[in-house]
Amino acid sequence: MEGRPTDEAELVARAQRGDQGAFEEIVQRYQQVAFRVAYVITGSAAEAEDAAQEGMFKAYRALHTFRTGAEPRPWLLRIVANEARNRARSAGRRQHLQLQLAEDFRPGDAAPSPEAAALAADEQRRLLALVNALDDDDRLVVTSRYLLQLSVEETSAALGIPEGTVKSRLSRALERLRQKVEEAQRA
Amino acid sequence: MPEIEDRLTALAGAIAWPDTPRLSLAVGRPIAVEPRRAFFVPRWAMAAAAVLVIVASLLAYAPTRTAIADWVNLHIGLSHTTALPTPSPLPSGTLGSNLGLGTRTTLAGAQSQVTWHIVVPGQLGSPDAVYLLLPPDGASGGEVSLVYATSPGIPVSTETGVALLVTEARGSVNEQFFQKTLNDATTIEPVTVNGHQGWWISGQPHNFVFIDAAGNPRFETLRLATNTLVIDDGGTIVRIEGHMTRAQALQIAGTLA
Repeated sequence: MEGRPTDEAELVARAQRGDQGAFEEIVQRYQQVAFRVAYVITGSAAEAEDAAQEGMFKAYRALHTFRTGAEPRPWLLRIVANEARNRARSAGRRQHLQLQLAEDFRPGDAAPSPEAAALAADEQRRLLALVNALDDDDRLVVTSRYLLQLSVEETSAALGIPEGTVKSRLSRALERLRQKVEEAQRA
Repeated sequence: MPEIEDRLTALAGAIAWPDTPRLSLAVGRPIAVEPRRAFFVPRWAMAAAAVLVIVASLLAYAPTRTAIADWVNLHIGLSHTTALPTPSPLPSGTLGSNLGLGTRTTLAGAQSQVTWHIVVPGQLGSPDAVYLLLPPDGASGGEVSLVYATSPGIPVSTETGVALLVTEARGSVNEQFFQKTLNDATTIEPVTVNGHQGWWISGQPHNFVFIDAAGNPRFETLRLATNTLVIDDGGTIVRIEGHMTRAQALQIAGTLA
């Protein structure tokens, strides 16, 4: 997760005074999470890039609406995610994203032997396949909250739903995922 | 077996995300932060302004001015003077000093401050003024501007008093990225100058973006906002700005050394 330095408020204040360089710095800090949120929503890296780029632009022009003292990250994510949703909607289809495990992924220190590591990697792969198979609402909330590691506030901003809905939807999605995991284990 | 939440959290570090693109504000349109609050003009002020405009219009017209003078019993002579046209004044001050090019120096002085070889268009000879812009205001590695007050066949800008401006900095041009900075009134055409890649930008370009020596995008305003030739001269990005034709620009660029 990208850091949230204490000088963020100063950067935003400078950007609000028209300092484009200050906003560029904010963009650099949050471009990764913004792009990934857009990727999860659009299901396309190219669409996500355009959405994130356009979203940053809109954010810059809307700096006057930013509330002093608020966290810029959820605010930025909300604008980028809106842009991503609009693009996905105007394209008339939402590509169902199939996230993959990184090829060089190793479960790390938790696995005591190469065999155990391979087993752990296999379990991770199967879990990801089950996440990919969730319906859109469940998949988006689980992916945002856990795979993108967004806070509840940020998930709410990214998905355009109230925080209470994030919590209830997440709870139900986790329950359904848990059931699928158990079914897969029995099979 | 760990809880599903723990397993998902562990999964976060294992996802093959696409490479994050470098995002930037460099998109083809002017950008400005909207003001915090719309400027509010009271109705009485608008009405007063309208009255002033009407009165000023009437006074500007000689017959009504005389009539108004008679009406207010103003017994003074109102003489007519004809305003003589004056030539467009050139900007005051040292050549190029109003362009925000940095500190004035000499060619040798600039060369001693930067690590790359400053190229000069042989056809134009020594510049009339040289400026150096160092970081943080200038690009990483510095930025050198050569200002020419005149150049055969190229008109002098009445706004800046400059005929040609050559700006140099170390860096690279990402064509796709750079194209996004151009507006609809601008066309871009790839060219080659002495084996170096270049781009002829005609129309009314206002912005230019390149990646400086430190890898940071630099957003620069084209000072003359006119036809511009950009050349990647072995890692030195050279910009030639002026009211010149493509042929004139290529001819000048061909003598860079």
